[in-house]
Amino acid sequence: MESEKAVLVVGGGIAGIQASLDLAGRGLKVYLVESSPSIGGRMAQLDKTFPTMDCSMCILAPKMIECFRHPNITLLTYSEVQEVSGKAGNFSVKVLKKPRFIDETRCTGCGECAQHCPIEVYNEFDMKLGIRKAIYVPFPQAVPLKYTIDDEHCIKCKLCQKTCRAEAVDFNQQPQIISLSVQAIIAATGYELFDVQRLSEYGYGRYKNVLVSLEFERLLSASGPTGGHLLRLSDGRIPRRIAFFQCVGSRSLKGGVSFCSSACCVYATKEAILVREHVPKCEVYIFYNDLKVFGKGFQEFVTRAKDDWGIKYIRALPGEVIEDSKTGDLTLWYEDTIENLTKDMDVDLVVLCPALVPRVASKELASVIGLELDENGFFKSKDPLFAPVDTNVPGVFTCGYCQGPKDIPESVAQASGAAARAAEVIALGAGREAH
Amino acid sequence: MERAEGETPRIGVFVCHCGINIGGVVNVPKVVEYAKTLPNVVYAEDNLYTCSSEGLSKIKEGIGKYNLNRVVVASCTPRTHEPLFRATCEEAGVNKYLFEMANIREHCSWAHMHEPEKATEKAKDIIRIAVAKARLIQPQKEPEIDVTPSALVIGGGVAGMTAALSLAEQGFRVHIIEKEPELGGMLRHLHKLYPTMQDASDALNQIIKAVGSNESIEVLTSTTIKEVKGFIGNFEATVQKVNGEATNLKVGTIIVATGADIFEPIGMHGYKEYGNVITQLQLEQLLKDGQLKKWERVIMIQCVGSREEKGRTYCSRICCMTALKNAVLIKELFPDTEVYILFRDLQTYGGRYEDYHRMAQDRGIKFIKYLQEKPPTVVSAENGKLTVNVYHALLREQVTISGDLVVLSTPLTQHEDAKELSQFLKVPLGSDGFFFEAHVKLRPIDFATDGIFVCGTAHSPKDTAESVSQALGVASRAAIPMAVKRLRTEAITAMVNENLCSGCGTCVKLCPYGAIEKDAKGVARVTEVMCKGCGVCGASCPEKAISMCHFTDEQVVAQALAALGRLIA
Amino acid sequence: MTFEPRIVGFLCNWCSYAGADLAGVSRISYPPNIRIIRLMCSGRLDPVIVLETFAGGADGVIVMGCHPGDCHYVEGNLQAERKIRMLKKLVAKTGLEPERLRLEWVSASEGGRFAELVKDFTSQLTKLGPSPLGGEKPDTKILAGVLAARATAADFRLRVLVGKEKGLIEDGNVYGEKVPEEEFDKTMEESIDAEYLRNRIYLMTQDEPLSVKELSKRLDLDPKAVLRHIVVMRRRGWVAIDRVEGTTPFYTALKVG
Repeated sequence: MESEKAVLVVGGGIAGIQASLDLAGRGLKVYLVESSPSIGGRMAQLDKTFPTMDCSMCILAPKMIECFRHPNITLLTYSEVQEVSGKAGNFSVKVLKKPRFIDETRCTGCGECAQHCPIEVYNEFDMKLGIRKAIYVPFPQAVPLKYTIDDEHCIKCKLCQKTCRAEAVDFNQQPQIISLSVQAIIAATGYELFDVQRLSEYGYGRYKNVLVSLEFERLLSASGPTGGHLLRLSDGRIPRRIAFFQCVGSRSLKGGVSFCSSACCVYATKEAILVREHVPKCEVYIFYNDLKVFGKGFQEFVTRAKDDWGIKYIRALPGEVIEDSKTGDLTLWYEDTIENLTKDMDVDLVVLCPALVPRVASKELASVIGLELDENGFFKSKDPLFAPVDTNVPGVFTCGYCQGPKDIPESVAQASGAAARAAEVIALGAGREAH
Repeated sequence: MERAEGETPRIGVFVCHCGINIGGVVNVPKVVEYAKTLPNVVYAEDNLYTCSSEGLSKIKEGIGKYNLNRVVVASCTPRTHEPLFRATCEEAGVNKYLFEMANIREHCSWAHMHEPEKATEKAKDIIRIAVAKARLIQPQKEPEIDVTPSALVIGGGVAGMTAALSLAEQGFRVHIIEKEPELGGMLRHLHKLYPTMQDASDALNQIIKAVGSNESIEVLTSTTIKEVKGFIGNFEATVQKVNGEATNLKVGTIIVATGADIFEPIGMHGYKEYGNVITQLQLEQLLKDGQLKKWERVIMIQCVGSREEKGRTYCSRICCMTALKNAVLIKELFPDTEVYILFRDLQTYGGRYEDYHRMAQDRGIKFIKYLQEKPPTVVSAENGKLTVNVYHALLREQVTISGDLVVLSTPLTQHEDAKELSQFLKVPLGSDGFFFEAHVKLRPIDFATDGIFVCGTAHSPKDTAESVSQALGVASRAAIPMAVKRLRTEAITAMVNENLCSGCGTCVKLCPYGAIEKDAKGVARVTEVMCKGCGVCGASCPEKAISMCHFTDEQVVAQALAALGRLIA
Repeated sequence: MTFEPRIVGFLCNWCSYAGADLAGVSRISYPPNIRIIRLMCSGRLDPVIVLETFAGGADGVIVMGCHPGDCHYVEGNLQAERKIRMLKKLVAKTGLEPERLRLEWVSASEGGRFAELVKDFTSQLTKLGPSPLGGEKPDTKILAGVLAARATAADFRLRVLVGKEKGLIEDGNVYGEKVPEEEFDKTMEESIDAEYLRNRIYLMTQDEPLSVKELSKRLDLDPKAVLRHIVVMRRRGWVAIDRVEGTTPFYTALKVG
C-alpha cells in the first residue's frame, strides 16, 4: 500500500511541537497526539523562562498556532496511543480519541458555554490552585481553542448545549479509534513532578504554605489564580520571606530518585527573581547543595540574582519544616555547611523544588511500543553518546525530558534531532533522492 | 484570477456577531449601516460566525457578486484568523494582501462589555481605520527562491560529521571543510568518554569511516573559508586549501560546527612554571598514550579560569565530569594513588552523572569544596613536589596537601579565528565568545540569518552526547529549506527609492538581518529575501528613501487620521 | 459634557498587540478611548507619523512595544525608544504638552498591564484637557509649531543622528572612537533646537516674506540667533532674499527638493 510519508509524534509539549514543525516544514505529514485537551505542555504553565526571562507563553503561542494551522500537521488532542504494530517504515497505530462531547468542527471557542456552566472544578493547569468549569479550555491560549466537557464533574444539566449558538455540544459523542499508518514515531512525553507528599518532613499537603515549584510558578503568573499577585493562599497576605528547597527527592538514595533534574537550580533562581520583581521587600533564600550552573548563561544568571537582586544562597538542605497552625507561618531547621551552624529560620512560604521525573504515561507508552526504559524511567537511548535520540526499537525515536533531564533549549535542539532521524528513516524507505 | 493594481478600490465589509461575543455588546446592524457610508465601501453585511464555513462562503459570494477587490472583516484578532481569511480571499481571486481586519472583539466588545453604546461607536471607528488602510493597500507577491540542495559544514569534528552523515542519509549533498589536515576535532585528543567509558578513538574512527565511505559527502581538509556571499538557498562560499587553490562552493545552507579551543592557564597555579602542573586535556593525552606515571598523589583543581567574576564568567559544563572520569581512570591504573578533586560546585547533572559521582566516591576519590573568594594556591617545593593550600569550605579550615601532579581543569573557549568566520557569515558572537543563536530558548541552533545553523561546542561547552543531539538537530533544521526546494519569503519588505538614497549607510547598520547593502554605485539595496519587514530602516532613513510595503507612511497616517474621525478623500 | 480624550495607540504585532488581545480575552475592562493601529514592530514608527497624529488632533499618542530583549526583530523596540526620546524633546518646543506622548513596554502575556496603562493614560489626559489642536478651532501657534516639528522630524539631520546613535556610542565613529553618551545627547539637543527653529522660519517665510526683526519678534528669539539660522538656511538653499526695504532684507522660503 502506497502510504503518504507520515510521522507520529506522541506528546504536545515544546519538544513534540518542535519535532512536528520541523517535519511538517519539510513536507512530511505529522500526527501530533496529546493526551490533554491542548498542546503546550509544561512550557505553557511557566510564567517566564530562564535565563532570558522571556515570557513563556509569548514565545510558545506562535509555535502552537503554527501547529494548528500547518496543513501537514493533524492535531489529535485529548487522545492517547493505544496500539502500535509493524516496523520502521511501516507502523500501524491505533489512537484513542477521548470524547470531549463537543463537535470540534462547530466549536468556535467563544466561551459562552463556560459562562453558564454551574460546576466549578480545581484546574489542572494551575496545579489545582485555580478554578475552571466542567466545560472548559485549559488556558485562554489553548490550541486547539475548542472546549471540552470533563465527564467526571459534568452533571449533565445541558445548560451549555442550550446556550451554544454554534450547536457544538454533543452529549452522544463516543470515544473514537483512529487508525494511522506512519513510517516513524517520536516519543516526547515530557515530565511530571515527583510526589513530594511522600517526604513528610517538609509538610507538603499538610501545611498550607508549603508549595511545589510549579504551583508557585502559577501564583507568579499574570494568567494564574491570583492574576500574578504574589499572595499566600492561606491568608491572602503578601509574603515577607520565602525559602526555596532544592533537590527535594533528587540526588537521593532514600525515598527519591538518584539523578539530578538539571533545571531546578536555575528555575528556582528565576522564580526568586520574579518574587523580588513582584515584591521588592520580600527576602528570598535558596537552600542548595551543589549549584548547577552548567548551561549557557546559567552562571551569569545566578551571579545577577545574587548581586543585582539580593537573593541569598545558603548551602544547606533543610531537615524539617514546622508550621504554626494558627498563622500558617513556617519555621525551618537547617545545617549551614559553610558556616557549620545549625540554624532556624522563620518564613512565610516554602517552595519545594522536587525531582522532575518521567511521566507515568511514559511507562504505558513504552509497553505499547516495546521501548526500553532505563533505571530512572527515561526512554533508553540506543547509544547514549552517539545515538541519543534512537531507542531500542528501530524507527522509534525520543527527545526532550523523557529522554533525560534537560532544559528547553536542549529539548528543542534534541527534538529537531529526532525529526532528522525520522526523516532519515523515511528517506531510506523512499529510496534516496538523486542529486 | 488576480485583479490589477492601480484600480479603484471596491471594498466589502463583513461584520461578525461571533455568537453574542460581539453581537451581545456591539450593535452590529448599526455598524453595518455605518460601514456602507464609508468611501469606497460598495458592500457590507453581517454574519453570525464569519470564520465558520458558511461565513467564509459568504465572503467568497460577496467578492464574486459585488466585484469586490478589497475585503475587510470586522471580527476577532488578526493574530488567530487573518491567515484563514486571507486564504479565503485568494480562493476567490483577491490577492491575500488586499485583506484587512478590524478587531472589534478582543479590542472592543470584550473589553467594554458594560458600555454597549461606547463599544458600538468604537467598533465604527475601528472599521473606519481598517477601511482607511484598505483603500490604500496594494497586492503583494511573496518572492520565491530556489534552494540549492547541498550543505556546507564548517568543521569536521564529531558534531560536523554527525550533521553531515544525517544530511547525507536524508538525501542531500554535503561538503565538510576542516582546517586541520585530518578529521576528528577534539575527540582525537580524548581517551575515554564519560559516562560509558567508550574509547574515543574507536568511536571516532567509526564515524570517520562512515563519512569517508559516504558518496554524498565531500571532505576538504586543510581548508578554510575565504569569503561567503549570498543568502539562504543561494550561498556561495570560497574555500581554500593551505598553499592550494581556491574553490567556489554553491550551497543552500551552512552549518557552523567549528568546535572550541581550551584555555591555557598561563601564569595560574604554576602552570608551565613548575614541573608537573598540567591541564586536564594534557592529562587525558598522558592517559591515552599510556604515559602516566605512578604517582603518590594527584590533585585536580576545578574552575581554573572559568566562573570568574570578570572575563570568562561562564561554567564550562564538562570539566567536573572530565575530572571525575580521569580520576576514576587513574584509580583503575594505580589503585594506590590518591586523587583529590578541589571543586566549587560539582556539575554532575542529568540522568547519569550523579551515579557516576557516587561511584567515584566509592573508589576512594577525595573531594574538597573550596570557595570562589578563597581559591587554592599551588607552591613548588625543592624536591619537585607540589604543595596545594586550600580553604576547605566544609571543614572551615586551611588544608595543605602535598602532591606530585596538579591537574588544572580549564574551560573551553572560542577559537581565535572565529571572529573572522563570524564576519564572513555575518553571524554574531555572544559576550562569552561563543556563537550567538537566533533565540536562546526556542531557536538554539539557528542563527538569526536564515539558512545558517550552529551546533556543538562552537555554540557553548558541552559533551559528546549533547554535541551529537545538536548536530542531528541542525541536520533537521538545514534539511527543511533544502527539502522543500523552493522558499516563499516575506512579502512585507522594505523598498529603496534609489533616486532619493544618498548612501549614508544608516539603514545598512540598523538592519538586524544584514538584508541591506550598498551596491557598486553606493546606493542602498535591499535583498528582499532576507528582509523581514520590521520597518526600522524605513522609519530611520534620513532621506526618507525607504518605504515599507503594506505599512507605508501614507497608510499608517491614513489609519491614524481615520482614528481621529478624518478620512482623506 | 465631560471631555473624552481621543487616544491613538501604535502597537507592535508580536507583543503589545497580543497583550491588548489578552486584556480582551480576560474580559478586563478599560476605558474605550483608545484606537489601536497595528504595526509589525514599534521600530516602524516614523516620528513624522506621530506628529501627523498630533496635528490631526489626537489628545494622546501611546506607543507600545516588546520589553527590551524580547523584540521579535532583535532591537526594533530600542530604535523606537530613541525616536520617542527625540520626539519628546521636539514636541516640548511646540507648546504641546510632551506628556501627551508615551512609550511603554507590554508583553503578550500582560493583558492586565495593557488595561492599566490605558486607564492611567486616559485619566491623565482627562485631567490635562483636550489637545489644543483638537476640535473645530486648533490653536494656530501650536499647530504651526507641530507642523514645523513634523518637517524637522522628516529632515536629514535629526534622522541621521537618531539612526546612527547606537553605532556611534557602541561601535565608535569612523576613527573607531566611541562617542560618549553625554556628548551625543548634547549634540542631539543642539540639533533639535537649531533644526526646529529653522523649520519654523521656513514655514513662516513660506506664508509671506519676513525680515529678521519680524522673525525674531514672532519667535521670541534674539535677532542674532535668527540671523545665524538664516545664514545656514541660505546656504542650504531653503530661503532667499525676496526684496530689500531700506537696509532690511526680507526672506522668502524656496521650494526644496
